[in-house]
Amino acid sequence: MNNNTYDAIVVGTGVSGGWAAKELTEKGLKTLVLDRGRMVKHGEYPTAMKAPWELPYADEPTREDVLRHPIHTRPSFYGITQSTKHWFVDDLDNPYVETKPFDWFRGYHVGGRSLMWGRQSYRLGDLDFEANGKDGVGVDWPIRYADLAPWYDYVEEFIGVSGSVEHLAQLPDGQFLPPMELNCVEQEFAGRLADKFNRKLIIGRTANLSAPLKHDKSPQRATCQYRNLCMRGCPFGGYFSSNSSTLPSAERTGNMTIVPNAIVHEMIYDNAKGKATGVRVLDAETGKQTEYFARVIFLCASTFGTTHILLNSTSSRFPNGFGNDSGELGHNVMDHLFGHGVSASVDGHEDRYYTGRRPNGFYIPRYRNLGSEKRPYLRGFGYQGSASRQNWSRLVDEPLLGEDLKRAAEEPGPWRLAMSGFGEMLPSHDNYVTLDRDRKDKYGLPILNFNVAHGENEKRMTKEIVDDAMEMMTAAGYRDVKPYHVEANVGAAIHEMGTARMGRDPKTSVLNGWNQMHACKNVFITDGSCMTSSACQNPSLTYMALTARAASHAVEELKRGNI
Amino acid sequence: MNRREWLKCVSTLAMGAVAAPSLLAISDAYAAAQAPGFAPQFFSKAQIDVVSAVVDIIIPRGGTPGAIDAGVPAFIDQMFTSVYTKAEQARYLSALASFERAGARPFLQLDEAQRKALVTKLHGAALSTGKGDTPEPAADFVLMTKRLTMTGFFLSEPGCTQVLQYAAVPGAYQADVPLAKAGNGKAWAVETALAL
Repeated sequence: MNNNTYDAIVVGTGVSGGWAAKELTEKGLKTLVLDRGRMVKHGEYPTAMKAPWELPYADEPTREDVLRHPIHTRPSFYGITQSTKHWFVDDLDNPYVETKPFDWFRGYHVGGRSLMWGRQSYRLGDLDFEANGKDGVGVDWPIRYADLAPWYDYVEEFIGVSGSVEHLAQLPDGQFLPPMELNCVEQEFAGRLADKFNRKLIIGRTANLSAPLKHDKSPQRATCQYRNLCMRGCPFGGYFSSNSSTLPSAERTGNMTIVPNAIVHEMIYDNAKGKATGVRVLDAETGKQTEYFARVIFLCASTFGTTHILLNSTSSRFPNGFGNDSGELGHNVMDHLFGHGVSASVDGHEDRYYTGRRPNGFYIPRYRNLGSEKRPYLRGFGYQGSASRQNWSRLVDEPLLGEDLKRAAEEPGPWRLAMSGFGEMLPSHDNYVTLDRDRKDKYGLPILNFNVAHGENEKRMTKEIVDDAMEMMTAAGYRDVKPYHVEANVGAAIHEMGTARMGRDPKTSVLNGWNQMHACKNVFITDGSCMTSSACQNPSLTYMALTARAASHAVEELKRGNI
Repeated sequence: MNRREWLKCVSTLAMGAVAAPSLLAISDAYAAAQAPGFAPQFFSKAQIDVVSAVVDIIIPRGGTPGAIDAGVPAFIDQMFTSVYTKAEQARYLSALASFERAGARPFLQLDEAQRKALVTKLHGAALSTGKGDTPEPAADFVLMTKRLTMTGFFLSEPGCTQVLQYAAVPGAYQADVPLAKAGNGKAWAVETALAL
C-alpha cells in the first residue's frame, strides 16, 4: 500500500457520485473521487451567458457535429447544439453495440449528467416499493418508503426542490421550496381535469431554487433567475448539479481528492480477504495505468458505466463479473416509456401572458391502477407538459411578408398545450446488456452490447398514455387535439436503471437493502443500476436519497469493523 | 454585379415611383449586407446578391431594423457552409437558379415593385402546395429563404430586442399577467430554429 490509498473511493461524479463524495468526506473519510471525463468546476460553463445572437448557426449542430454524434443526434434527443454539445460524448470515440436499438445519451465530465438533467424531482412511495412483491414481477424491493423517507427529507432540504404539497398517497410530498406557478391555460386545464376526471394537475417538482435554501451550506448558490438555460450549466447555481452543490461541499471538508480523466475499468479483489481492495484506472489522456486502494468503494458511474466495470472485472471468485453470483448483473434494464404525447390549440386568453422563463412544467401524477382499479396492464404513468403562447415560427406558413410579417411577429401567438407520458417499464431478465469482448473502444476496453426492448405491458400502457391524453384534452374543450410521437428507442428517457438490482435474496439480486453488494460487503452501488423497479417518476432524487443512506450505513459499518 | 452596378440599376428605376426614403433604405440595407468582413463562402457574389434582395423583401427595415441590418445574408451563407447537407445545398442552389428565371428578367434587373410582386406570388404558390409536397423550385426557394430569414432575424440582436423583447436574466417568473404588463407587451424572444 502506498500514497494511492484512501479510506474510500467514489467512482463517478454525477447525481449519485457527487452525493457519495459529499457524505463520505463530511463523515471524515479521506475520499478519492474518480471521473472518466475532464474537470468542470462550478462556473466553468462556457455558453451559460450567451445571448441567442452570440451562438453560431442558430444553435443548430453543424454537419461535423452530426458526423461525430450519430447517436446523440437521433430524433429523440436535443443536446447536440452549439450551446450544449460540449456536455455530450463523441459517439465515434465511445461506441456500443445495439443488438436491439438503444438510445444511450452520455456526458463524460466531472458533474456528469447532473449538469444537463431535467431536474424533475419526485419521491417514490409504497405503491412503488410494494409493486414487484404484489405483482410477482422481478424481485421485491428490500426497502419500503419508511426506510427512505428521512433520506428524501435530507437530500431535498440540501439541494432545494420547488414544489407544492398535494397529499397524494402515490406521490409523497417533500420538503419543498415554494412552488412555481401555473399559467392561465395550465390552471384552466387543471380545473377541467379535476371537474371531469377527478385527476390532479400540479406544478412540476424541480431542483431549482424558487427561494433561498433553508441552510447556509451552499454559499455558492443563488436563486433561480428564470433564464431556462439550465442545460448549459448555471453560473448562479440556480439548480442542483454536483458541480454547484455536492462537490463544493465535499471540497470544503479537505477530505476529497478528485482525479478527472480517470477511467475505472476494473475492480481489484482480494480472495484471501474476500473484499474489494481497490480499482484499476486508465488515464483517458495518457493511457497510463494506476491502481488505487481503499477500504470501501462506491460505484456511482451511471447504470451502464457501473455495469461495464463489474462485467469487465472477472476473477476466479467472480468468473461472470464482479459480484455477479446471481447471474442478474447486466439484466433487468429499465427506462421509462417516452416519446408519446398529445398537443392541442387553446382558444381565448389572448390578453394573458407571462414574464420570465420557467424551467419547469406541469405534472399529472399517476392515476391508473390505484386502489382497486385494474387496467389491462400493470403499473402506471404520469404526464409532463406545459402551455405557452406560440412564437414567431407559427408565421412561416401564413401569407405574411415584409412589414406585415414583422408586425405579426411582435404579437404573441395563440396558446398551445402539450404533454408527454412517462410510463413505468417492468423489469425482465430478458432485457440485458453484455460485454462484447471482440469489440474494443479506443482505450482497448470491450464495449457494451444492448439487448433491450419494450414488452407487451409497455405496449398496452403506451396506447393508454395516448388515449387518455386525447380524452383529457378533448374533454377540456380544446381544439386540434392530436397525438405526437417522437421516434425513440428504449433509453431515450435517459432514466436507465436496474442492471445491479437491490433485493432480499443474494440468489436473485446483486445488492442488499443498503445498496451493498451481497457478494462483497465493502462495495456499494447507488446509481440507477440499483433500482429494483422503475416506477414512473423521474428517478434522480431517489438515487440521491439512496446514496446518502448507503453512505451513512457504510461509515457505521466501517466503524463497527464489519467492512 | 458589384455595388456600383447595382446602384446604377436602382437609379434607372422610374424615380417618381420610388419614394426617396425607401430607395435610401434599400441602398443602406444593401450596404450593410456588403459590410466589411462579409465575403460569402458558400454562395457566389451574384447568388448572395439575389438572396440578399429577397431577404430584404421578407423582413425589411421599417421603424425597426430589418434582416439585412441584422446580417441575415451572412447567417444564411454560414448555414449552408457548415450546417446543411449536400442534398440541402443542392436543393437550395437549384431552387435559386429556378427563381432567377421565374420573372420577366433576371431578378436584380426587376424594379422594386416587380420584385415584391414576384416574391409575393411565389410565396403564395408555395403556401398553397399540398401538405407533404415540395413546392415547385422557384416557390420552394422563396419559402426556404423565408424560413432562413425568420430564423436568422428573430435570433439576431435587433430581432430579439427591437422587434421582439428579450430578457437575458429575468430574475423572476410571473405565470399569469395581463399582456400589456408583460414587459413591453411584445412577444418574448425564444430560441428556436426552423428546419430548411
